[in-house]
Amino acid sequence: MEKFQKSFPSAPLAWPSGKTWSLAGVVGSANLEVLMEPGAAADSAEFDVQTSFPGYQDSWLAALSDFSTHYALGGTKVTIHDQGAAPVVITMRLRQALDQLIHP
Amino acid sequence: MSPILSQFFGDSAANLSVTNQILTGYASVGSTEVAVIGTVDGTYVNDAAALQLAAHVLDCVQSKPGLPIVMLVDSAGQEPNRTAEMLGLPVYFAHLLSCLQVARDAGHKLIAVATGKAIGGAFLCYGMFADSIYALDSAQLGLMPVEAMAAVTKIPVATLEELSKRMPALEFGAKPFALLGGVQEVWPADGALPDLLEKAIASATTEDNRALLGKERGGRTLAYDVRQRVLAESAK
Amino acid sequence: MSRVPYHELKARERIAAICDRGSFNEILPPPERVMSVFLPELGIPVSFDDGLIIGRASLNGSPVYLAAQVGQFVGGSVGEVHSAKLVGLIESAARDKIPFVMLIESGGVRLHEGSSGEIGIAESMRAVFACRTLGVATIAVIGSDIGAYGGMGIFSACCGSRVMTEHGRLGVSGPIVIEKWMGKQAFDSSDRALIWKTSGGKTRYLLGDADVLVDDSTDAVRAGIISLLGQPAPVTLGSVSADQQRLEARLVQFGKTTNPDDIWTASGVTDIAAASLASGGEFANSYPKKSSAQ
Repeated sequence: MEKFQKSFPSAPLAWPSGKTWSLAGVVGSANLEVLMEPGAAADSAEFDVQTSFPGYQDSWLAALSDFSTHYALGGTKVTIHDQGAAPVVITMRLRQALDQLIHP
Repeated sequence: MSPILSQFFGDSAANLSVTNQILTGYASVGSTEVAVIGTVDGTYVNDAAALQLAAHVLDCVQSKPGLPIVMLVDSAGQEPNRTAEMLGLPVYFAHLLSCLQVARDAGHKLIAVATGKAIGGAFLCYGMFADSIYALDSAQLGLMPVEAMAAVTKIPVATLEELSKRMPALEFGAKPFALLGGVQEVWPADGALPDLLEKAIASATTEDNRALLGKERGGRTLAYDVRQRVLAESAK
Repeated sequence: MSRVPYHELKARERIAAICDRGSFNEILPPPERVMSVFLPELGIPVSFDDGLIIGRASLNGSPVYLAAQVGQFVGGSVGEVHSAKLVGLIESAARDKIPFVMLIESGGVRLHEGSSGEIGIAESMRAVFACRTLGVATIAVIGSDIGAYGGMGIFSACCGSRVMTEHGRLGVSGPIVIEKWMGKQAFDSSDRALIWKTSGGKTRYLLGDADVLVDDSTDAVRAGIISLLGQPAPVTLGSVSADQQRLEARLVQFGKTTNPDDIWTASGVTDIAAASLASGGEFANSYPKKSSAQ
């Protein structure tokens, strides 16, 4: 298991009132689950990743940095449990979790 | 007749019958008359075995009000069989459990003792349903031996053995099973079994205390608390 | 959403589609982080809900306690936390006299957690029967491709009633285990038609093990559950005595055959090929239950 945390600058996300979390994905082969919660600094997205496929940290950080740049995620804590998802799936799940937050 | 039967029931063991390695009958434990059901010699259980055991439970409920039911377990589990599955093996097992519930509701105490193998579906379909569950220290309880677990999970035997030192849930045997709360007590195989069984019958209640035992003994540190949290949250 | 097959949906999607809109309130949701402590020791990723989502919802305005297993997570298998959530939910149902409904998708005990899952399933069985004695409905829904096997197969059969689709399977030993034991000649685990005829919803329905057989859609599954909410199915001496006779007769009638077609034929199916292709709902309409148990 590999674990790491990293924060990236991100435009602030206005958390809808009444919403305290959103979840996308499932922990399974080549998949991951993504939990988004409030509580990070307003201009920062904080990521906490646990993966059973060690050795891809650079790839992860690139995907997470990219996402933080392209989407407003500031103020959000993102916790990930991964079982070998490809970068395109990671990005998709992040979008799904964010989507659920903004358009429930 | 299996020596364990004389150990528990003395001369009254002669009143018990074993057909297809399924045990049924009425006997005495010390001065307490009991109904007896069970498996012997590590046999496999199937649909017919479940019906055989259920029939005796029904006989007890219908003809011997209030008699405690002693359930002995020495079974290797269910034998994988296409006909058994086609006929609905889970339903046969659930039927046996239903009969035991009827007995419980009618006031019969249910006591289980694992005397040999107590594995998988064979244990779940009657023994683990008892009010109180005990095991001889020589009994083989658990899911499966570590070699089989390694084969299915692809986790090396050495890793599992190392982990089982810290995780009794992975260890196969009566003592680790007791740490998890799976059995009330482990009895020495050469102990005063009739006394132990009589006390067990007297002290049995219908409350399922296994999660609390697992917490107190450290084998299952989360089960009790999680359950209580669910009950608290749902009450809000 | 109602057109997407039930068996293709994930657990959370099934819950959303089956419950009255917006009525599901999750108990111990993901942010609570009630997770397995065993799996990380084995280098296996944890899940926020440990593969079991529990909560309270309403179905057609009636409150229910609802559980749904996540088949993708370690095969929907049952570990310590998963079963503790389940026991707590069933005990809540007993306490509040509210029906317990479970969407089953599991191979049984989680091997990675050894005996703790096994004991947890046993505790769940005690809790389900306590509900039945109290007159609280307990409904198992079996409609996923993983089915209900092992200890969860037995648990499903312990519930007061069962909704199945043609996709669902109910058994104890899975096809691969049977093939390993009996040999490929005796049972070929790659023969999907055989597997589904042996353990699938249609055969279970004909034998009376499934109370309701419906189409593979969330609308149909929801309707099936609602039809059973008012049926607590307690166990009584009368009911189990009747079951004993019925199950003995089943063993006598079909115990010597290995061919599920014999069951279908004996139940009045004349065109087996057509019946095999029928949806669950179509099949149930063609072969309605007789008023007395078969």
